[in-house]
Amino acid sequence: MEQWANHPAIVWHDHPYTYHDLLARMQAWKATLNEHDIGPGQVVTIEGDYSPNAVSLLLTLIERSTIVVPLTRSVAAQREEFLTIAEVQVVVSFDDDDRWHIERRPVPVTNPLTRQLIERGHPGLVLFSSGSTGKSKAALHDFLPLLEKFQVPRHRRVTLTFLLLDHIGGINTLFYTLANGGTVVAVQSRDPDVVCRTIEMHRVQTLPTSPTFLNLLLISEAYRRYDLSSLELITYGTEVMPESTLHRIHDIFPNVQLLQTYGLSELGILRSKSRDSNSLWFKVGGEGFETKIVDGVLWVRAKSAMLGYLNAPSPFDEEGWMNTQDVVEVDGDYIRILGRRSDIINVGGQKVYPAEVESVLLQMPNVKDVAVVGERNPITGQIVTARFNLFEPEDPNEFKRRVRAFCRERLAPYKIPVKITITEDEQHSARFKKMRKPW
Amino acid sequence: MTSPTINRTDLINLVITSLRDVLEQSGRPLPATIEENTLLFGKGALLDSLALVTIVVDLEQRLEEEHGLTLTLADDRAMSQRNSPFRSVGALVDYLEQLIHEEQSRD
Repeated sequence: MEQWANHPAIVWHDHPYTYHDLLARMQAWKATLNEHDIGPGQVVTIEGDYSPNAVSLLLTLIERSTIVVPLTRSVAAQREEFLTIAEVQVVVSFDDDDRWHIERRPVPVTNPLTRQLIERGHPGLVLFSSGSTGKSKAALHDFLPLLEKFQVPRHRRVTLTFLLLDHIGGINTLFYTLANGGTVVAVQSRDPDVVCRTIEMHRVQTLPTSPTFLNLLLISEAYRRYDLSSLELITYGTEVMPESTLHRIHDIFPNVQLLQTYGLSELGILRSKSRDSNSLWFKVGGEGFETKIVDGVLWVRAKSAMLGYLNAPSPFDEEGWMNTQDVVEVDGDYIRILGRRSDIINVGGQKVYPAEVESVLLQMPNVKDVAVVGERNPITGQIVTARFNLFEPEDPNEFKRRVRAFCRERLAPYKIPVKITITEDEQHSARFKKMRKPW
Repeated sequence: MTSPTINRTDLINLVITSLRDVLEQSGRPLPATIEENTLLFGKGALLDSLALVTIVVDLEQRLEEEHGLTLTLADDRAMSQRNSPFRSVGALVDYLEQLIHEEQSRD
């Protein structure tokens, strides 16, 4: 990091902090950690975002071989549960002014996986799955294999951090950027206007994001209100991209490269390459990752795979492969993700992928957002249901007619939503991922 | 027992409206007349299974939104009736009356 001393490493609350500044803060943290007797093998939570003190603490904790459990405010409701699962011994919380507070928790580490990592003497990372369906799972990583891929020099870029520190995508963005002397730009909210204003102000080149956010960006038309000419690359992942959203983004940003990313909190982020900016076909893999397709489902084996879950059985088979549950189509070296196996709706034996139906419905006038899910039904096994957010209120029966008429020319009959509802609630999680909860 | 919020004529009209909507919206031909003995599902009837589930769900939603009645029309019980409640408009109306009556006796 010293080679880029005077270059900004992070921008937080619109203020740049140099690599030199981060190094100085790391020195200060070493003294503070000594003072508080925080050493190798302890389990430490960082409660905060990309502030200079939190980021420099994260780097210092890795250097010191502790096990880091990043938490953010979006999981406040599950805070206690997460602290208990991870057997957290020290919590360092940061406030909005980057002041910190250390809390000790008198908890012994009993989890065999964590103990195994402590014996190795390596730093660790615990990431919680969002648990949009069922219970959150805690993935324990050895931090060193996760960081290994950043040894290879890549592009130096100004990158906005859309995902937070408690997400594999956020961790990946942070280390990719810092390893290459780039600048990480933090945003205070993921409101499209805030994000666009930040891109304009700090001449952001890379925007890693999710299809849900890109859809909000289109709806809000925030891109019209700011100068986004600095953008060179938009990456999207974490969920299936509706084809209609991708094409519209490509129309609006014809000179920006659009790249689909792929990663799981259990495995790390794979390297990927989209066929072109307007295509959902992409290649995944790269150094340290192997892939195979079994019965149409993608399996991955990764050097950077987690050791296991702290609170669930291992998802790996004997040879270390993990079933991603993502159903894919294959064309030579390229794949296209159709959806999570658990999201597939089975209507009388015929498969319906929610993303495909959503992609069509999103093109309807007055539709702001839509979530398609399956519901049990004794006649056809399952039925397709669609829950809409609208811009302007509409008569429900009239709207149903409009939906069915629109779908008739565009979807096979079994894919057309049988149950159509309108809601005022937002349908994405704090991580800007669509929630396909049954209702 | 509360007084019925919806009578048989209302129910027949509701089923017919729903049937017309679904036939129209799925591009199926509309018969000249729809009455109680119009066959819904089965041999020579108007609907296939997809259209039938659509009507069933549509009726459930209309009964809830327009009449405050929360009924489950398609469940294992409906499927295991000796005489299918989905064979004709009249049979479906009979079954609806039965369900509404049970629902109201429970209150």
